[in-house]
Amino acid sequence: MEASLWYVLTGTRGGKNRVRILRALDERPRNANRLAEALDLDYKTVRHHLDVLADNNIVRDSGDDYGAVYLVTDAARTHWDTIETIMEEV
Amino acid sequence: MTALVTLFQVLTLANLVLLTGLAYVWGRNYADMRSKHTLGLLLFALFLLGENGMAAYFFLVDPQLSGWISNAQQVPPPAQLAMAALRVAQFGGLAFLTWVTWD
Repeated sequence: MEASLWYVLTGTRGGKNRVRILRALDERPRNANRLAEALDLDYKTVRHHLDVLADNNIVRDSGDDYGAVYLVTDAARTHWDTIETIMEEV
Repeated sequence: MTALVTLFQVLTLANLVLLTGLAYVWGRNYADMRSKHTLGLLLFALFLLGENGMAAYFFLVDPQLSGWISNAQQVPPPAQLAMAALRVAQFGGLAFLTWVTWD
């Protein structure tokens, strides 16, 4: 997971915003709408980043209803020191 | 067999475009993050940019070399095929890398 964390968060065009989303979700789980407001990002952009993060098993949504709350996965928690290192740099 | 030479030349230019895009993303990320990982990616793009830049100069600009590769008397078709195959493979790799990186 280590390598994909580095690539998804620091090797791609949208990496910086994905780090911001992850930081916000670490603070407390929220849905895409709240994230868009908190980070001053477009709703569709946030949705896309959440899909990428979920695809890489870094975040997951808490349910299958519309407007579901997103949270950090256990897998990402076990590599939290790596994520913290990346966050310090962004 | 000039089609193979044209393919080689076009893909050399296409690789330059893709690598410029990659260097742009990784250069910006390196400026933001200063991590060794983004530096590694940036240097990778810069070295391959140099490689394709040299190929573009040798085989599109330099009159002697570019005239030579399009002449089947001097570079037989199997050798031209081999040269083109290397560019096709590199283009394929860079195209996918750009696709995931631009995300």
